[in-house]
Amino acid sequence: MDQITFLTEILLPALMSGLVVTLQLIAVSAPFGLLLGIGVAVGRQYGGGILSPVCKVFVYLIKGTPLLLLLIILYFGLPSVGITFSAFTASVIGFILCNGAYNSEYIRGAILSIKDGQMVAAQALGMTRLQAIRNIILPQALIRAIPGLSNEFIYLIKYSSLAYMLTVIELSGAGKLVATKYFAYTETFMVVGLVYLALVTITTVAVNLLEKHVSVPGMIRGETSAMQL
Amino acid sequence: MERKALGAICACLLLLIVGIAGCTGTQTETPAATGSEKQTYIIGIDAEYPPYSYLDKDGNAIGFDVDSAKWIAEQQGFDVTFQPTAWDGIIPALQAGKIDMVYSGMTITKERQEKVNFSIPYWKVNQSVAIHDDTSVTMDDFYAGTLIIGAQRGTTGQIWVEENLIETGKMPAENLKLYDNFPLVATDLQNKRIDAAIYDTPPMLDAIADKPAHIIGEIDTGEEYGVAIRKSDVALLNTMNEGLEKLMNDPYWDELQDKWEM
Repeated sequence: MDQITFLTEILLPALMSGLVVTLQLIAVSAPFGLLLGIGVAVGRQYGGGILSPVCKVFVYLIKGTPLLLLLIILYFGLPSVGITFSAFTASVIGFILCNGAYNSEYIRGAILSIKDGQMVAAQALGMTRLQAIRNIILPQALIRAIPGLSNEFIYLIKYSSLAYMLTVIELSGAGKLVATKYFAYTETFMVVGLVYLALVTITTVAVNLLEKHVSVPGMIRGETSAMQL
Repeated sequence: MERKALGAICACLLLLIVGIAGCTGTQTETPAATGSEKQTYIIGIDAEYPPYSYLDKDGNAIGFDVDSAKWIAEQQGFDVTFQPTAWDGIIPALQAGKIDMVYSGMTITKERQEKVNFSIPYWKVNQSVAIHDDTSVTMDDFYAGTLIIGAQRGTTGQIWVEENLIETGKMPAENLKLYDNFPLVATDLQNKRIDAAIYDTPPMLDAIADKPAHIIGEIDTGEEYGVAIRKSDVALLNTMNEGLEKLMNDPYWDELQDKWEM
Protein backbone atom coordinates (compact mmCIF):
# COMPACT_ATOMS: atom_id res chain seq x y z
CA MET A 1 0.00 0.00 0.00
CA ASP A 2 1.50 3.32 -0.94
CA GLN A 3 1.56 6.41 1.23
CA ILE A 4 -1.24 8.27 -0.54
CA THR A 5 -3.79 5.46 -0.25
CA PHE A 6 -2.79 4.92 3.36
CA LEU A 7 -3.32 8.61 4.07
CA THR A 8 -6.59 9.13 2.21
CA GLU A 9 -8.31 5.79 2.67
CA ILE A 10 -7.21 4.68 6.12
CA LEU A 11 -5.65 7.39 8.21
CA LEU A 12 -7.81 10.42 7.43
CA PRO A 13 -11.23 8.69 7.75
CA ALA A 14 -10.14 7.20 11.10
CA LEU A 15 -8.85 10.57 12.30
CA MET A 16 -12.02 12.34 11.15
CA SER A 17 -14.23 10.13 13.32
CA GLY A 18 -11.75 10.59 16.16
CA LEU A 19 -11.81 14.36 15.66
CA VAL A 20 -15.60 14.40 15.95
CA VAL A 21 -15.33 12.68 19.35
CA THR A 22 -12.60 15.10 20.46
CA LEU A 23 -14.78 18.08 19.48
CA GLN A 24 -17.74 16.57 21.35
CA LEU A 25 -15.58 16.12 24.46
CA ILE A 26 -14.42 19.73 24.29
CA ALA A 27 -17.83 21.18 23.42
CA VAL A 28 -19.40 19.54 26.46
CA SER A 29 -16.51 20.10 28.88
CA ALA A 30 -15.51 23.70 28.12
CA PRO A 31 -18.76 25.56 29.01
CA PHE A 32 -19.23 23.66 32.26
CA GLY A 33 -15.54 24.04 33.03
CA LEU A 34 -15.92 27.81 32.66
CA LEU A 35 -19.04 27.92 34.84
CA LEU A 36 -17.36 25.77 37.49
CA GLY A 37 -14.30 28.02 37.31
CA ILE A 38 -16.40 31.14 37.87
CA GLY A 39 -18.29 29.49 40.71
CA VAL A 40 -15.17 28.26 42.47
CA ALA A 41 -13.31 31.56 42.02
CA VAL A 42 -16.21 33.60 43.40
CA GLY A 43 -16.79 31.06 46.14
CA ARG A 44 -13.18 31.14 47.18
CA GLN A 45 -12.95 34.92 47.09
CA TYR A 46 -16.31 35.87 48.62
CA GLY A 47 -17.56 32.58 50.05
CA GLY A 48 -16.81 33.25 53.69
CA GLY A 49 -15.93 30.75 56.40
CA ILE A 50 -17.34 27.56 54.88
CA LEU A 51 -17.56 27.85 51.10
CA SER A 52 -14.16 29.48 50.70
CA PRO A 53 -12.13 26.65 52.31
CA VAL A 54 -14.18 24.06 50.40
CA CYS A 55 -13.27 25.73 47.09
CA LYS A 56 -9.67 25.99 48.21
CA VAL A 57 -9.46 22.27 49.01
CA PHE A 58 -11.13 21.39 45.70
CA VAL A 59 -8.57 23.39 43.72
CA TYR A 60 -5.75 21.98 45.84
CA LEU A 61 -6.82 18.39 45.22
CA ILE A 62 -7.31 18.79 41.48
CA LYS A 63 -4.08 20.74 41.02
CA GLY A 64 -2.15 18.26 43.12
CA THR A 65 -3.11 15.04 41.33
CA PRO A 66 -2.59 13.91 37.74
CA LEU A 67 -5.70 14.12 35.56
CA LEU A 68 -5.09 10.58 34.36
CA LEU A 69 -5.45 9.35 37.94
CA LEU A 70 -8.71 11.24 38.33
CA LEU A 71 -10.05 9.72 35.10
CA ILE A 72 -9.07 6.21 36.12
CA ILE A 73 -10.77 6.63 39.48
CA LEU A 74 -13.91 8.02 37.81
CA TYR A 75 -14.09 5.20 35.29
CA PHE A 76 -12.54 2.09 36.81
CA GLY A 77 -12.77 2.91 40.52
CA LEU A 78 -16.30 4.23 41.06
CA PRO A 79 -18.15 1.09 39.86
CA SER A 80 -16.94 -0.61 43.05
CA VAL A 81 -19.19 1.80 45.02
CA GLY A 82 -22.04 1.38 42.57
CA ILE A 83 -21.52 4.41 40.31
CA THR A 84 -20.99 3.34 36.72
CA PHE A 85 -20.39 6.13 34.22
CA SER A 86 -19.99 5.55 30.53
CA ALA A 87 -16.48 6.19 29.26
CA PHE A 88 -17.55 9.44 27.60
CA THR A 89 -19.33 10.71 30.73
CA ALA A 90 -16.42 9.80 33.00
CA SER A 91 -14.02 11.64 30.68
CA VAL A 92 -16.21 14.74 30.52
CA ILE A 93 -16.61 14.84 34.31
CA GLY A 94 -12.85 14.56 34.74
CA PHE A 95 -12.22 17.31 32.19
CA ILE A 96 -14.80 19.64 33.75
CA LEU A 97 -13.29 19.21 37.22
CA CYS A 98 -9.75 19.79 35.97
CA ASN A 99 -10.67 22.62 33.62
CA GLY A 100 -12.82 24.27 36.29
CA ALA A 101 -10.12 24.13 38.96
CA TYR A 102 -7.49 25.79 36.75
CA ASN A 103 -9.98 28.28 35.31
CA SER A 104 -10.91 29.32 38.83
CA GLU A 105 -7.30 30.28 39.54
CA TYR A 106 -7.12 32.49 36.44
CA ILE A 107 -10.44 34.11 37.32
CA ARG A 108 -9.45 34.56 40.96
CA GLY A 109 -6.29 36.32 39.85
CA ALA A 110 -8.38 38.62 37.69
CA ILE A 111 -10.82 39.29 40.54
CA LEU A 112 -7.89 40.23 42.80
CA SER A 113 -6.75 42.74 40.19
CA ILE A 114 -10.02 44.68 40.50
CA LYS A 115 -9.65 47.34 43.17
CA ASP A 116 -11.60 46.86 46.43
CA GLY A 117 -12.98 50.36 46.04
CA GLN A 118 -15.28 49.18 43.26
CA MET A 119 -17.09 46.81 45.61
CA VAL A 120 -17.44 49.58 48.20
CA ALA A 121 -18.69 52.00 45.56
CA ALA A 122 -21.19 49.49 44.21
CA GLN A 123 -22.56 48.83 47.67
CA ALA A 124 -22.71 52.57 48.33
CA LEU A 125 -24.97 52.79 45.25
CA GLY A 126 -27.34 50.33 46.87
CA MET A 127 -26.25 47.07 45.24
CA THR A 128 -26.08 43.88 47.28
CA ARG A 129 -22.77 42.04 47.42
CA LEU A 130 -24.03 39.45 44.94
CA GLN A 131 -25.26 42.13 42.54
CA ALA A 132 -21.92 43.89 42.77
CA ILE A 133 -20.03 40.70 42.04
CA ARG A 134 -22.29 39.83 39.12
CA ASN A 135 -22.60 43.26 37.51
CA ILE A 136 -19.41 45.07 38.46
CA ILE A 137 -16.57 42.72 39.43
CA LEU A 138 -17.09 39.66 37.22
CA PRO A 139 -17.57 41.41 33.86
CA GLN A 140 -14.25 43.17 34.31
CA ALA A 141 -12.50 40.15 35.81
CA LEU A 142 -13.59 37.82 33.03
CA ILE A 143 -12.22 40.13 30.36
CA ARG A 144 -8.92 40.25 32.19
CA ALA A 145 -8.92 36.47 32.58
CA ILE A 146 -9.32 35.80 28.85
CA PRO A 147 -5.60 35.16 28.15
CA GLY A 148 -5.40 32.68 31.02
CA LEU A 149 -8.71 31.04 30.21
CA SER A 150 -7.80 30.61 26.57
CA ASN A 151 -4.57 28.98 27.68
CA GLU A 152 -6.56 26.52 29.74
CA PHE A 153 -8.90 25.90 26.82
CA ILE A 154 -5.88 24.98 24.70
CA TYR A 155 -4.77 22.61 27.44
CA LEU A 156 -8.24 21.09 27.37
CA ILE A 157 -7.90 20.40 23.64
CA LYS A 158 -4.68 18.56 24.31
CA TYR A 159 -5.58 16.71 27.48
CA SER A 160 -8.80 15.49 25.92
CA SER A 161 -6.47 12.87 24.43
CA LEU A 162 -6.38 11.18 27.84
CA ALA A 163 -9.95 9.98 27.23
CA TYR A 164 -8.54 7.21 25.13
CA MET A 165 -7.23 5.56 28.29
CA LEU A 166 -10.90 5.06 29.15
CA THR A 167 -11.67 3.41 25.78
CA VAL A 168 -13.05 6.61 24.21
CA ILE A 169 -11.62 6.59 20.70
CA GLU A 170 -10.92 10.28 20.16
CA LEU A 171 -8.34 11.89 17.88
CA SER A 172 -5.11 10.54 19.33
CA GLY A 173 -6.72 7.22 20.24
CA ALA A 174 -7.88 6.79 16.65
CA GLY A 175 -4.35 7.65 15.54
CA LYS A 176 -2.82 5.15 17.90
CA LEU A 177 -5.12 2.37 16.65
CA VAL A 178 -4.13 3.02 13.04
CA ALA A 179 -0.47 3.28 14.02
CA THR A 180 -0.59 -0.04 15.90
CA LYS A 181 -2.42 -1.84 13.15
CA TYR A 182 -0.28 -0.65 10.27
CA PHE A 183 2.92 -0.06 12.24
CA ALA A 184 3.03 3.45 10.75
CA TYR A 185 3.86 5.41 13.88
CA THR A 186 5.80 8.38 12.57
CA GLU A 187 3.44 9.23 9.71
CA THR A 188 0.32 8.79 11.83
CA PHE A 189 1.41 10.87 14.78
CA MET A 190 2.75 13.61 12.51
CA VAL A 191 -0.71 13.96 10.98
CA VAL A 192 -2.38 13.74 14.41
CA GLY A 193 -0.05 16.50 15.61
CA LEU A 194 -0.99 18.68 12.64
CA VAL A 195 -4.69 18.28 13.44
CA TYR A 196 -4.11 19.37 17.05
CA LEU A 197 -2.02 22.27 15.80
CA ALA A 198 -4.89 23.31 13.54
CA LEU A 199 -7.34 23.16 16.45
CA VAL A 200 -5.07 25.28 18.61
CA THR A 201 -4.52 27.76 15.77
CA ILE A 202 -8.25 28.19 15.31
CA THR A 203 -8.63 28.74 19.06
CA THR A 204 -5.85 31.32 19.16
CA VAL A 205 -7.34 33.31 16.29
CA ALA A 206 -10.82 33.11 17.81
CA VAL A 207 -9.54 34.32 21.19
CA ASN A 208 -7.78 37.27 19.56
CA LEU A 209 -11.02 38.26 17.87
CA LEU A 210 -12.93 37.81 21.12
CA GLU A 211 -10.47 39.95 23.04
CA LYS A 212 -10.82 42.75 20.49
CA HIS A 213 -14.57 42.42 20.54
CA VAL A 214 -14.97 42.68 24.32
CA SER A 215 -12.15 45.12 25.04
CA VAL A 216 -13.16 48.29 26.87
CA PRO A 217 -11.02 51.29 25.87
CA GLY A 218 -8.80 52.41 28.72
CA MET A 219 -9.70 49.52 31.02
CA ILE A 220 -6.51 47.55 30.73
CA ARG A 221 -3.23 49.30 31.25
CA GLY A 222 -0.96 49.31 28.23
CA GLU A 223 -3.84 48.32 26.00
CA THR A 224 -3.26 51.15 23.54
CA SER A 225 0.26 49.95 22.89
CA ALA A 226 -1.01 46.39 22.54
CA MET A 227 -3.57 47.55 19.99
CA GLN A 228 -0.87 49.15 17.88
CA LEU A 229 0.88 45.80 17.58
CA MET B 1 23.06 40.50 44.77
CA GLU B 2 24.40 40.25 41.24
CA ARG B 3 27.34 38.19 42.43
CA LYS B 4 25.00 35.77 44.15
CA ALA B 5 22.88 35.39 41.00
CA LEU B 6 26.00 34.85 38.91
CA GLY B 7 27.23 32.25 41.39
CA ALA B 8 23.88 30.43 41.24
CA ILE B 9 23.93 30.39 37.45
CA CYS B 10 27.49 29.05 37.47
CA ALA B 11 26.49 26.32 39.92
CA CYS B 12 23.55 25.33 37.74
CA LEU B 13 25.73 25.21 34.65
CA LEU B 14 28.25 23.10 36.50
CA LEU B 15 25.54 20.65 37.56
CA LEU B 16 24.29 20.47 34.01
CA ILE B 17 27.75 19.75 32.65
CA VAL B 18 28.40 17.10 35.29
CA GLY B 19 25.03 15.57 34.48
CA ILE B 20 25.70 15.42 30.77
CA ALA B 21 29.22 14.14 31.33
CA GLY B 22 27.75 11.46 33.59
CA CYS B 23 25.37 10.36 30.85
CA THR B 24 27.96 10.10 28.15
CA GLY B 25 30.27 8.37 30.58
CA THR B 26 27.92 5.45 31.07
CA GLN B 27 27.16 5.28 27.39
CA THR B 28 30.77 4.84 26.43
CA GLU B 29 31.37 2.37 29.23
CA THR B 30 28.81 -0.17 28.08
CA PRO B 31 30.37 -1.16 24.74
CA ALA B 32 33.79 -1.33 26.34
CA ALA B 33 32.48 -3.68 29.01
CA THR B 34 30.64 -5.88 26.55
CA GLY B 35 33.59 -5.98 24.21
CA SER B 36 35.65 -7.97 26.64
CA GLU B 37 32.77 -9.94 28.16
CA LYS B 38 29.48 -11.35 27.01
CA GLN B 39 27.08 -9.48 24.77
CA THR B 40 23.96 -8.21 26.60
CA TYR B 41 20.63 -8.24 24.80
CA ILE B 42 17.59 -6.30 25.98
CA ILE B 43 14.40 -8.34 25.81
CA GLY B 44 11.14 -6.40 25.59
CA ILE B 45 8.27 -7.96 27.50
CA ASP B 46 4.64 -7.26 28.27
CA ALA B 47 4.80 -6.85 32.06
CA GLU B 48 1.21 -8.05 32.50
CA TYR B 49 1.21 -11.31 30.60
CA PRO B 50 1.26 -14.19 33.07
CA PRO B 51 2.32 -16.94 32.94
CA TYR B 52 4.63 -15.97 30.04
CA SER B 53 6.09 -12.74 31.31
CA TYR B 54 5.16 -10.55 34.25
CA LEU B 55 6.70 -8.86 37.24
CA ASP B 56 6.95 -10.20 40.77
CA LYS B 57 6.36 -8.04 43.84
CA ASP B 58 9.90 -6.68 43.70
CA GLY B 59 9.59 -5.72 40.04
CA ASN B 60 11.71 -8.57 38.68
CA ALA B 61 10.64 -10.13 35.41
CA ILE B 62 9.43 -13.70 35.84
CA GLY B 63 7.47 -16.21 33.77
CA PHE B 64 7.69 -19.05 31.32
CA ASP B 65 9.18 -16.94 28.54
CA VAL B 66 11.52 -15.16 30.93
CA ASP B 67 12.91 -18.47 32.23
CA SER B 68 13.20 -19.78 28.67
CA ALA B 69 15.11 -16.68 27.58
CA LYS B 70 17.49 -16.94 30.52
CA TRP B 71 18.16 -20.62 29.75
CA ILE B 72 18.81 -19.91 26.07
CA ALA B 73 21.07 -16.99 26.96
CA GLU B 74 23.12 -19.21 29.22
CA GLN B 75 23.39 -21.95 26.58
CA GLN B 76 24.24 -19.56 23.76
CA GLY B 77 26.62 -17.46 25.80
CA PHE B 78 25.05 -14.03 26.14
CA ASP B 79 23.44 -11.97 28.89
CA VAL B 80 19.87 -10.70 28.93
CA THR B 81 18.02 -7.92 30.67
CA PHE B 82 14.25 -7.55 30.57
CA GLN B 83 12.54 -4.31 29.64
CA PRO B 84 8.78 -4.02 30.28
CA THR B 85 7.32 -2.22 27.25
CA ALA B 86 3.82 -1.08 26.28
CA TRP B 87 2.46 -3.86 24.08
CA ASP B 88 0.97 -1.62 21.38
CA GLY B 89 4.32 0.10 20.96
CA ILE B 90 6.61 -2.88 21.36
CA ILE B 91 7.36 -3.45 17.67
CA PRO B 92 8.36 0.18 17.07
CA ALA B 93 10.55 -0.08 20.18
CA LEU B 94 12.20 -3.12 18.61
CA GLN B 95 12.65 -1.36 15.28
CA ALA B 96 14.08 1.71 16.97
CA GLY B 97 16.66 -0.40 18.81
CA LYS B 98 15.32 0.32 22.31
CA ILE B 99 15.07 -3.43 22.75
CA ASP B 100 16.78 -6.27 20.87
CA MET B 101 13.97 -8.83 20.81
CA VAL B 102 10.40 -9.44 21.96
CA TYR B 103 10.15 -12.71 23.86
CA SER B 104 6.77 -12.39 25.49
CA GLY B 105 4.12 -14.62 23.97
CA MET B 106 4.00 -12.73 20.68
CA THR B 107 1.82 -14.35 18.05
CA ILE B 108 3.43 -14.66 14.64
CA THR B 109 1.21 -12.74 12.20
CA LYS B 110 1.68 -11.75 8.57
CA GLU B 111 1.46 -8.05 9.42
CA ARG B 112 4.14 -8.31 12.09
CA GLN B 113 6.33 -10.43 9.81
CA GLU B 114 6.45 -7.56 7.35
CA LYS B 115 8.19 -5.46 10.02
CA VAL B 116 10.27 -7.95 11.99
CA ASN B 117 11.67 -11.48 11.80
CA PHE B 118 10.27 -14.26 13.92
CA SER B 119 12.09 -17.24 15.37
CA ILE B 120 10.73 -20.74 14.94
CA PRO B 121 7.37 -21.08 16.73
CA TYR B 122 7.67 -22.38 20.27
CA TRP B 123 4.09 -22.44 21.56
CA LYS B 124 0.51 -22.72 20.32
CA VAL B 125 -2.48 -20.92 21.81
CA ASN B 126 -6.11 -20.20 21.13
CA GLN B 127 -8.26 -17.20 21.97
CA SER B 128 -10.73 -17.61 24.78
CA VAL B 129 -13.89 -15.69 25.62
CA ALA B 130 -14.82 -14.89 29.21
CA ILE B 131 -18.06 -13.47 30.64
CA HIS B 132 -19.29 -12.28 34.02
CA ASP B 133 -20.68 -15.03 36.30
CA ASP B 134 -24.00 -13.18 36.62
CA THR B 135 -24.73 -13.18 32.90
CA SER B 136 -25.66 -16.11 30.74
CA VAL B 137 -24.60 -15.12 27.24
CA THR B 138 -23.27 -17.89 25.04
CA MET B 139 -20.65 -18.32 22.36
CA ASP B 140 -23.50 -18.13 19.83
CA ASP B 141 -24.22 -14.56 21.00
CA PHE B 142 -20.52 -13.83 20.74
CA TYR B 143 -20.28 -15.13 17.17
CA ALA B 144 -23.51 -13.33 16.25
CA GLY B 145 -21.90 -10.01 17.22
CA THR B 146 -24.60 -8.95 19.66
CA LEU B 147 -22.25 -8.42 22.60
CA ILE B 148 -20.06 -5.57 23.78
CA ILE B 149 -16.58 -7.05 23.66
CA GLY B 150 -13.44 -5.87 25.46
CA ALA B 151 -9.88 -6.55 24.30
CA GLN B 152 -6.38 -5.27 24.89
CA ARG B 153 -5.13 -2.90 22.20
CA GLY B 154 -2.73 -4.48 19.73
CA THR B 155 -3.49 -8.09 20.65
CA THR B 156 -4.58 -10.89 18.36
CA GLY B 157 -7.91 -10.93 20.24
CA GLN B 158 -8.62 -7.42 18.94
CA ILE B 159 -7.56 -8.46 15.45
CA TRP B 160 -9.79 -11.55 15.53
CA VAL B 161 -12.87 -9.53 16.48
CA GLU B 162 -12.13 -6.90 13.85
CA GLU B 163 -11.63 -9.44 11.08
CA ASN B 164 -14.40 -11.85 11.96
CA LEU B 165 -17.13 -9.72 13.50
CA ILE B 166 -16.65 -6.08 12.52
CA GLU B 167 -15.41 -6.36 8.95
CA THR B 168 -18.08 -8.95 8.18
CA GLY B 169 -20.71 -6.44 9.35
CA LYS B 170 -22.02 -8.61 12.20
CA MET B 171 -21.04 -6.15 14.89
CA PRO B 172 -20.77 -2.33 14.97
CA ALA B 173 -17.19 -1.16 15.47
CA GLU B 174 -18.04 0.85 18.60
CA ASN B 175 -19.04 -2.35 20.43
CA LEU B 176 -15.39 -3.38 20.57
CA LYS B 177 -13.83 -1.59 23.55
CA LEU B 178 -10.06 -1.39 23.55
CA TYR B 179 -7.95 -1.08 26.67
CA ASP B 180 -4.36 -0.32 27.49
CA ASN B 181 -3.74 -3.61 29.27
CA PHE B 182 -5.69 -6.74 30.04
CA PRO B 183 -6.24 -6.18 33.78
CA LEU B 184 -8.31 -3.13 32.79
CA VAL B 185 -10.42 -5.32 30.47
CA ALA B 186 -10.95 -7.78 33.33
CA THR B 187 -11.92 -4.88 35.63
CA ASP B 188 -14.51 -3.62 33.17
CA LEU B 189 -15.86 -7.15 32.75
CA GLN B 190 -16.29 -7.21 36.52
CA ASN B 191 -17.98 -3.78 36.29
CA LYS B 192 -20.27 -5.27 33.60
CA ARG B 193 -19.52 -2.48 31.15
CA ILE B 194 -18.60 -5.17 28.66
CA ASP B 195 -20.40 -8.47 28.08
CA ALA B 196 -17.36 -10.49 27.10
CA ALA B 197 -13.58 -10.32 27.03
CA ILE B 198 -11.30 -11.95 24.50
CA TYR B 199 -7.66 -12.88 25.14
CA ASP B 200 -5.11 -15.68 24.74
CA THR B 201 -6.24 -18.57 26.94
CA PRO B 202 -3.39 -18.97 29.48
CA PRO B 203 -3.14 -15.30 30.52
CA MET B 204 -6.95 -15.07 30.47
CA LEU B 205 -7.17 -17.81 33.10
CA ASP B 206 -4.74 -15.89 35.24
CA ALA B 207 -6.41 -12.50 34.77
CA ILE B 208 -9.90 -13.67 35.78
CA ALA B 209 -8.77 -16.02 38.55
CA ASP B 210 -9.89 -13.64 41.31
CA LYS B 211 -12.77 -12.10 39.37
CA PRO B 212 -16.41 -13.19 39.18
CA ALA B 213 -15.95 -14.36 35.60
CA HIS B 214 -15.46 -17.58 33.69
CA ILE B 215 -14.48 -18.76 30.24
CA ILE B 216 -17.37 -19.86 28.05
CA GLY B 217 -15.45 -20.99 25.03
CA GLU B 218 -12.31 -21.03 22.96
CA ILE B 219 -11.82 -19.90 19.41
CA ASP B 220 -9.50 -22.28 17.63
CA THR B 221 -7.16 -19.77 16.05
CA GLY B 222 -4.09 -22.01 16.27
CA GLU B 223 -1.81 -19.06 16.85
CA GLU B 224 1.87 -19.65 17.27
CA TYR B 225 4.21 -17.70 19.50
CA GLY B 226 7.66 -16.73 18.29
CA VAL B 227 10.50 -14.46 19.33
CA ALA B 228 10.51 -11.21 17.33
CA ILE B 229 13.90 -9.89 16.22
CA ARG B 230 14.91 -6.92 14.04
CA LYS B 231 15.23 -7.80 10.33
CA SER B 232 18.83 -6.62 10.33
CA ASP B 233 19.81 -8.89 13.24
CA VAL B 234 20.18 -12.12 11.28
CA ALA B 235 22.93 -13.44 13.56
CA LEU B 236 20.73 -13.04 16.63
CA LEU B 237 17.85 -14.78 14.83
CA ASN B 238 20.06 -17.81 14.14
CA THR B 239 21.31 -17.82 17.73
CA MET B 240 17.76 -17.75 19.08
CA ASN B 241 16.52 -20.44 16.69
CA GLU B 242 19.38 -22.68 17.75
CA GLY B 243 18.69 -21.92 21.40
CA LEU B 244 14.96 -22.60 21.06
CA GLU B 245 15.58 -25.95 19.38
CA LYS B 246 18.01 -26.92 22.14
CA LEU B 247 15.49 -25.82 24.77
CA MET B 248 12.56 -27.72 23.28
CA ASN B 249 14.65 -30.91 23.11
CA ASP B 250 15.89 -30.52 26.66
CA PRO B 251 14.21 -32.02 29.75
CA TYR B 252 14.16 -28.45 31.13
CA TRP B 253 11.35 -27.66 28.63
CA ASP B 254 8.98 -30.07 30.44
CA GLU B 255 10.20 -28.84 33.79
CA LEU B 256 9.35 -25.28 32.77
CA GLN B 257 5.86 -26.25 31.66
CA ASP B 258 5.27 -27.94 35.00
CA LYS B 259 6.67 -24.99 36.89
CA TRP B 260 4.33 -22.52 35.19
CA GLU B 261 1.40 -24.96 35.15
CA MET B 262 0.87 -24.89 31.42
